[in-house]
Amino acid sequence: MSKSQLTNNIRRLRFDHNEMTQQKLADLAGVTRQTIIAVEQGKYTPSLTLAFKISAAFNRKIEDVFTFQPDK
Amino acid sequence: MNRSQKAAWFIVINFTIAIIISITMYAILLPKTGFSKASSAISFMGLCGLSGFVPIFFKKDPGNIQSDERDIMITRKSAIAGFASAYLFVGLACMLPFTIMGNNATVSVRWLPMIFTGAGILNFYIHSITLLILYGRGGKR
Repeated sequence: MSKSQLTNNIRRLRFDHNEMTQQKLADLAGVTRQTIIAVEQGKYTPSLTLAFKISAAFNRKIEDVFTFQPDK
Repeated sequence: MNRSQKAAWFIVINFTIAIIISITMYAILLPKTGFSKASSAISFMGLCGLSGFVPIFFKKDPGNIQSDERDIMITRKSAIAGFASAYLFVGLACMLPFTIMGNNATVSVRWLPMIFTGAGILNFYIHSITLLILYGRGGKR
């Protein structure tokens, strides 16, 4: 199975935001820590709603957090 | 590991132990007592009933959020896999005797509850295995 086409900067953004913990981000986004880990590692493609919630937690636009890489 | 995963592991281990004990006892009893009495070894499958205590064994996860979209998706996929396998099992269990023995053959009514029990066990078993696989793979869409 191919890797997710959606890459993200969540790890970097967490550290830019005062080393925000995965649990803190999970609480802000309203999901479990496991889901944040899976999204961060690119193992799970979040729904649009969750992607917006994560972006909002960092006060960033969605395209600053997630990047779509189309197939070549 | 969340509560669902712990429960799934418990069910898989519990069911596997029950199946192994049942088969072992059946293999031991068959040469001594014959087919009819050896079939009572299947009663060891009753150990699967221990899975009913899962809500007592595993308490709620710490934190405010118990489940999210990913958990719901994984649970739904696992449930579909479980029900599909049970449906297939019942279908095969009904069709195979007919196919093997022909139109005029008869099947004992004793097999009917066993088929439904087997389907139920298979449902839980496949559900739990699928859940563990999907969590292990990150729950990809």
